[in-house]
Amino acid sequence: MENTSLFGRIRQSEAASGLLLVSPTAIYAILLLFAPLATVLVYSVMTDAGAGKIEWVFTLQNYVEVWTGKVYRAIMFRSLVVSMAVTLCTVLLAYPIAYFVSFHVAASKKSLWLFLITIPFWTSYVIRVFLWKVILGYNGVINSGLMSLGIISEPLQAINYNAGAMVMTLAHAYAPFAILPIFVALEKIDRSLLEAGQDLGETKLMTFWRVTLPLSMTGVIAAVLIVFIPTIGDYVTPDLIGGGKIPMIANMIEVKMLKQNEKAIGSAIAVTAMLIVALVSIVFLILNRRFLKGQK
Amino acid sequence: MSSEKPTMIEFKDVHKYYGDYHALRGITATIRAGEFFSLLGPSGCGKTTLLRTIAGFEGISSGVVLIDGKDMQNVPANVRPTNMVFQSYAIFPHMSVAENVGFGLRKDPRSKAEKAKAVEEALAMVGLKGYGGRAAHALSGGQRQRVALARALILKPKVLLLDEPLSALDKKMREHMQVELIRLQRQVGITFILVTHDQEEALVMSDRIAVMFEGEIAQLADPETLYRRPASRKVADFIGTMNFLPARVLSQSGDKVEVEAEGFGRLTLDAEQMTGAKTDAGPTIGFRPETLTILFDGQTASDRESPATVTEVVYYGDMTYYDIKLDGSDQPLRLSMRNVFGRPVLDIGTKTRVAWSPGALVLFR
Amino acid sequence: MKNPGLRVYAIGYLIFLYAPIILLPVFALNDSKVVSFPLTGFTFRWFQEMWADDSLREALTNSLIVAICASVIATALGLLAARASTRFTFPAKGGILGLIMLPLVLPEMIVAMSLLMVLLAVGVPLGKHTIIMGHVLICTPFAVAILSSAFQSLDKSLEEAAYDLGEGPISAFRLIILPLVTPGIVSSLLICFTISLDEFIIANFLGGNTKVLSAYIYGQFRFPAKVPAMLALGTILVLLSITLLSIAEYFRRRGIAKTGGKDTGGFL
Repeated sequence: MENTSLFGRIRQSEAASGLLLVSPTAIYAILLLFAPLATVLVYSVMTDAGAGKIEWVFTLQNYVEVWTGKVYRAIMFRSLVVSMAVTLCTVLLAYPIAYFVSFHVAASKKSLWLFLITIPFWTSYVIRVFLWKVILGYNGVINSGLMSLGIISEPLQAINYNAGAMVMTLAHAYAPFAILPIFVALEKIDRSLLEAGQDLGETKLMTFWRVTLPLSMTGVIAAVLIVFIPTIGDYVTPDLIGGGKIPMIANMIEVKMLKQNEKAIGSAIAVTAMLIVALVSIVFLILNRRFLKGQK
Repeated sequence: MSSEKPTMIEFKDVHKYYGDYHALRGITATIRAGEFFSLLGPSGCGKTTLLRTIAGFEGISSGVVLIDGKDMQNVPANVRPTNMVFQSYAIFPHMSVAENVGFGLRKDPRSKAEKAKAVEEALAMVGLKGYGGRAAHALSGGQRQRVALARALILKPKVLLLDEPLSALDKKMREHMQVELIRLQRQVGITFILVTHDQEEALVMSDRIAVMFEGEIAQLADPETLYRRPASRKVADFIGTMNFLPARVLSQSGDKVEVEAEGFGRLTLDAEQMTGAKTDAGPTIGFRPETLTILFDGQTASDRESPATVTEVVYYGDMTYYDIKLDGSDQPLRLSMRNVFGRPVLDIGTKTRVAWSPGALVLFR
Repeated sequence: MKNPGLRVYAIGYLIFLYAPIILLPVFALNDSKVVSFPLTGFTFRWFQEMWADDSLREALTNSLIVAICASVIATALGLLAARASTRFTFPAKGGILGLIMLPLVLPEMIVAMSLLMVLLAVGVPLGKHTIIMGHVLICTPFAVAILSSAFQSLDKSLEEAAYDLGEGPISAFRLIILPLVTPGIVSSLLICFTISLDEFIIANFLGGNTKVLSAYIYGQFRFPAKVPAMLALGTILVLLSITLLSIAEYFRRRGIAKTGGKDTGGFL
């Protein structure tokens, strides 16, 4: 029919223009992101032949080794625990700040507060991590400061070069990432809902618990994901703060792929890391969906 | 009178599909040169789509759109002799008022000074003389609309298209701009086509109105015909308030129709009072609230009268709306009376008499 | 304020956020090789030492080249993708955009390593260009996000109004759309520049023997004697970041003011 073919032409040209416009960016991502990820996936089921060579023999041995090997499991477990601890700390510390800026700061000053919160994030990551090493180190700022003030006579050892110091450093590094999504969720809450809560006989605290918190949960879940994903793959902090003694997944990937030149095993670790990230993300996205459903 | 005006826009069996959705279903209509024409209907009826096919922002799936006798197939929006006032006004936020108004003059061969003069004149025409230097984003809603008007009219289009231009304004401003737009249309003398969902606005402003439902034109007529002789119950319901009473056609001979209506008894109507297509609901008598009058003590009807009971009273200051039931009918009827000093407002339950006239009735087949 | 407790907490939190950064200039100006209290005296010598370091200057040059190239390419790619996604519907739109935005949710180590595997397999020599490749990949999602919101806040009828008043698609883009998204382009350039300048993992693994600033600093931290000079460098970098961010924020706000939108705050 003439009608439909004319209509089809218009639609096709719309689709064609869109595809044409997006194609340079899409081709870039396919060549430099999709193809490399696919390569790693293929490597992970091949056999290491030593000296960085890959033997094209299919095997699942790499995964068996990564998933059952004691050292691998210990490192992956540590990465998971550290990044979860970081996520928990960061989000718990960030929520009151987001709440404060959204509910207690005048509208005209909100941008300024957000600006102040984001600035530290934009200063060199490597230097920031190193500064925490300097702060928390054996002869570091805290110990030397407290000693020169006469509060302690011996350097505190509990604060340096351990998983706790790593959590502290990372919680600092990802703070703005947690604050922003929670802030956005809080901003969207219709203020009259809170008045309705109190009008219906709830205290301020119970109104927060029954109205504000559930409505901001989507922001909390976004914050959890935004903090969790980069921390589990962090490389700098374990290396600098942990002094290389408490490696995480990223350090292990580096060691396998570059230092020991076992690309297949390294790829299997990388794929496993992606699986862990995907799994945790899916769990939280399902939680998010349940919260959204609850709102309807 | 108006029929002498030449044709400006002609739609011939225009269809428009969005995928499976049939947005325009065979529009055939004529819009005359120099008339104030309105496309009226509820949201989603296709009125904005139809307007945008004139502007050239929507292609059509089949049919013909002619502007001033020329087929608009494959004529892009930027060369059509139409200009548009957008619902959001689409004032370019990074330009001054004068730059906005003069935007369409970029390729105009006139000198800079002449163009500036044209801009000043256009601004004066919409009552914004001296506003040229202002930043566009600092304007109020009413001012933005005037800028949009000046920007469209400066190009001397044959047709000005207005997409719900008053919907963003408050009530006072809206009524003011209605009068302004009528004045402006008389002044420039070109065709104005207005899209609106507000029946009152359409009645006030238009020479003719096309009422649209679900992609079709249900009735195209002048405001008075539309109000007094709606072509269907749906049109009658959409424009103003109309009472309906079930009726029975007894006989039809020549230009007379014999009907029996609940509460009104036997009536003889002119054939031209009969309208609309046959529906499953059967014949219905329709009439406007103001065609019924309550008779107070001592008053007599000039035509016909019936006994009735007041069932609801709503007092509006200048008017009172009553719901009444005619004796022998359970159908509540809406009736409006202008309030007169010294005359009481009736209470619910009052037995009274109402005057009416068969000539004010419409019979829907 | 209604809730003084919350306010005290907020200020305490800001101190926690800024503590390490405040220490930067303190120890960069302290006349001691050891970063610890008590302070021993005021000096500019770490700044002079830093300034005299040739390999630092080379790393800085590398960083600037990489950051400029990466931000320009990422913004150009972001512009195309953002325009396509806000203006057109096309097949597999969700999948294509999802792939482009994927680096946002992938640990950087995995992006770096998988790209490195392919580069090694294909035999591409490592250098500035390979760092740029990686940085474009991680900067593009930010560019797309910033520019999409710039395009989205544009009323579609502005473009139609330009057609209606006699302009074609190209001149309408030039006269209306481009001026209105320019603030978005500028802030995308600045943010991509900052991200690239700061990025370490990709720069470290894809650079081969080419050292950019972040990788250079990382290397220097192994030598305690070099630390104060690095803190001096850090001080300068912090000042630079704050300046760039203020400019970016200024343009973002101007963009919002121009399109008559409401300020919702924040970069992301």
